[in-house]
Amino acid sequence: MNRRLHGDTRLLPYIAATVVLFGIFARNDATLIQAGTYAAIFAVAAIGLSVLLGNVAQISLGQAGFFGIGAYALAYLTTLVSWPGAIPGWFPFVAGTIVGTALAAGFGLLLGFIALRFRGHYLAMATLAFGLIVAGVFRASKSLGGSVGISNVPFAHFGSLTVSGDVAYWYAWAMAALAIFFTVNLLKGRAGRAFEAIRNDELAAEAAGIPTRRYKILAFAYAGGLAGFAGTFFVSYLGLVEPNAVGISLSIDLLLMVVLGGAGGVSGATIGASIIGVTNLYGHDLENWRPVIYGIVVIVIVIAFPRGVAGLVSRTPDRKTQTAESAGAFEKIFAGVPTAKSPWLAVDRISKCFGGLLAVDGVSFSLENGTLSSLIGPNGAGKTTLFNAISGIGRVDAGRVVIAGTDVTSWRPHRIAALGVGRSFQNARLFGEMTVLENVVAGASLTERAGFLADLLALPVTRRDRRVALERARAIVARLQLEGLAGVPARDLSFGDRRRVELARALAASPGLLLLDEPAAGLNAKERARLCEDLRALRDGGMTLLLIEHDMRLVMQISDRVMVLRFGRMIADGPPALVRSDQTVISAYLGNAS
Amino acid sequence: MLAQLAQLILAGLTVGSGYALVALGIHIILRATRVINFAQGEFVILGGLLAYTFVTALHLNVWAALIAATLLGFAIGLLYERAVLRPAARAGEIAVTIATIGTVYILLYGHALIWGSLPEPLPFFSGGATDVSWQIFGVHIAAQQVSVLTLLALVLTLLWFFFERTTYGKAIRAAANNPIGARLVGIDVDRSRALSVAISIALAAFAGTIIGPITLVGGAAGVAIAIKGFVGAIVGGLESPVGCVFGGLLVGVVEKLLEGQFSYEIADPVVYSLLLVMLLVRPAGLFAARAAVRD
Repeated sequence: MNRRLHGDTRLLPYIAATVVLFGIFARNDATLIQAGTYAAIFAVAAIGLSVLLGNVAQISLGQAGFFGIGAYALAYLTTLVSWPGAIPGWFPFVAGTIVGTALAAGFGLLLGFIALRFRGHYLAMATLAFGLIVAGVFRASKSLGGSVGISNVPFAHFGSLTVSGDVAYWYAWAMAALAIFFTVNLLKGRAGRAFEAIRNDELAAEAAGIPTRRYKILAFAYAGGLAGFAGTFFVSYLGLVEPNAVGISLSIDLLLMVVLGGAGGVSGATIGASIIGVTNLYGHDLENWRPVIYGIVVIVIVIAFPRGVAGLVSRTPDRKTQTAESAGAFEKIFAGVPTAKSPWLAVDRISKCFGGLLAVDGVSFSLENGTLSSLIGPNGAGKTTLFNAISGIGRVDAGRVVIAGTDVTSWRPHRIAALGVGRSFQNARLFGEMTVLENVVAGASLTERAGFLADLLALPVTRRDRRVALERARAIVARLQLEGLAGVPARDLSFGDRRRVELARALAASPGLLLLDEPAAGLNAKERARLCEDLRALRDGGMTLLLIEHDMRLVMQISDRVMVLRFGRMIADGPPALVRSDQTVISAYLGNAS
Repeated sequence: MLAQLAQLILAGLTVGSGYALVALGIHIILRATRVINFAQGEFVILGGLLAYTFVTALHLNVWAALIAATLLGFAIGLLYERAVLRPAARAGEIAVTIATIGTVYILLYGHALIWGSLPEPLPFFSGGATDVSWQIFGVHIAAQQVSVLTLLALVLTLLWFFFERTTYGKAIRAAANNPIGARLVGIDVDRSRALSVAISIALAAFAGTIIGPITLVGGAAGVAIAIKGFVGAIVGGLESPVGCVFGGLLVGVVEKLLEGQFSYEIADPVVYSLLLVMLLVRPAGLFAARAAVRD
């Protein structure tokens, strides 16, 4: 479990105790119980938005649309559909709950697809439009009651038990508990780590083999599903729904709840929804002052307390890092490397231009498996562009990239990574807010198999995978002598340490082909010597390595083969000794005296 | 038939002038600060209500009220930038978006606290509670419609002159384009951002006053105005001032045509769908030279 989630779940026992005590002591006060019930309903919807906003950093101003879809689905099925007499009385309610939630999740999936195309304020606009369209469609639909909506929705009842009053309070909080249970599982699992990685650095997450698009869509579907789930019980409890009740102001209210409580995880959203749920009911005397105060409070919170109320009461715990056995760490990595009969890497006449500049111009080569090659050349020679082309970042204009016999040209980076390609970036793209260990665990995502449902239900497979990934990450961290830094957030590291962590993260996925972009930059002499040893050990274990490096001594010392790029063309290729004495190379680096 | 169509288009251009000014205001703030001001519509309402107060409580002439509301809007814009946008911007893009949404709440309900929750009618610019109108080829042309379109043309000309022809305006554009470069040549970037926001809010107050006699100001009207302003900005192109004005006018015309030919209920969902469709099909807008979606 990551540090942030741990701090978040520490508040849960207090929330649970408050809910139970409130339910017991307020049982004779209908107004209080009503406030508590609404708090739970909104908490369910707010938790979904909290995941989206706080964990994946995607804004949605259209959550009320999903809430409305859930509410209208249940209202329609319980009120406007005439069920045959043989159907038990509880059935329409249960069917409405399931259909409403599923329908909302389905629309969430759709919005997620749309959202992939937008960032920042364009995303805010697109989600806003979604919410407006949904409410507008409800208003325009005669069969759904037009602007009056659907009323006379009956209370749910199971036999003689009617879900209203106190019962509704407990039912609503049971729903919230379910939402919290699922969400904590999800965030604890592979999906949660993927969310965290995406929020920190989307590109690096892709390169580490995390299918970022799939996870973003998943987050929208999940948030939509929870909002729909909340909507179904809302209408059953209130007895009616109209387009204005599920319009833009509800979307904004949900956003305020999340911001007030603290975005990310479950506690903040629950606290925010409870505060607003209760003050909404008791603020009737305040009338228009209430939203004005919300507005002021929200502005103050985003400026001064970005982690919300939950952030004020819960501190992220510092955790001891367990020590691990470093011996055999590399062997564990090698054991996971897929075997390849064809060369790990073959590029065939690759070209890439930026505007009028031809950065890579028809470069071809293929690497012999289990060797260490280096790519050198003056600045602007196209080395990093070539790396990007190999790992799927940006489209190539011509040519093919073949990884272990598979043509991967124009594949997305995470699929290339999944074939067994690890890489580091020239400017060390780590997940800044995550600790060193968490960074390395995120790199092991590819070794895990748990899917969405397994995560949601915390099936044994998720726990086993997580334990294995963690052990593996600890061993790699120990092997690269990063143990002292394991608990440090990556953004606080020195440049040299970042490089080493990036190497550790790439290794965690057991890559067969490792692309390292200037791994020695920022390292001191001692660290360089260690790096050389480690790289040799990796090669001797059977890994295929390709380096971009400016440190010539290091390159000549460890490379089996050196390739020289200049203005996007390969000007020399061969064993270090040969390349070192090549006249073209010398003039490329030092200029030509004639 | 043709006369009816012309009538609807004229009505559309008039309400569209409001949307156009909102869209342009959003564009000006976006360009200077990279922030979408979700509260733009509420500032329109605030401007209209201020003008209403100037007319009813201070017995100002409506033209004097227009100038006073615009100047006050300018001052409120300076305050808004300093107290909300600038500090929130330090906390990140999502934070500042949320802060502008918080501002919507403050203004929306703050208006109701001060002026009551029912919309207030502003007097017509021809002076009085009923408007003068002419009948030309079977089309009713109200004096207010003529005033709105004339004032829109006037303010657009002034803005164009300011941004394109004065040193101040050029400095603001430079600061928006490349803040670091602008600082290096001695432009006070913070001040030029504040000035941009102030101009934008002054524009909103101006818009609220000129469309006030037609659409009424107050209540929840600002939310709809803001949203239709967004639609206009996206249709024309958020990054293009001409596109924003054109888009706003277009949204007004589309809205009135749909209302006139079909129903009120159908107009809003169609206009909102336009937002999503444009975002998907041509996110940079009709007037954009290049696709700049991924901001």
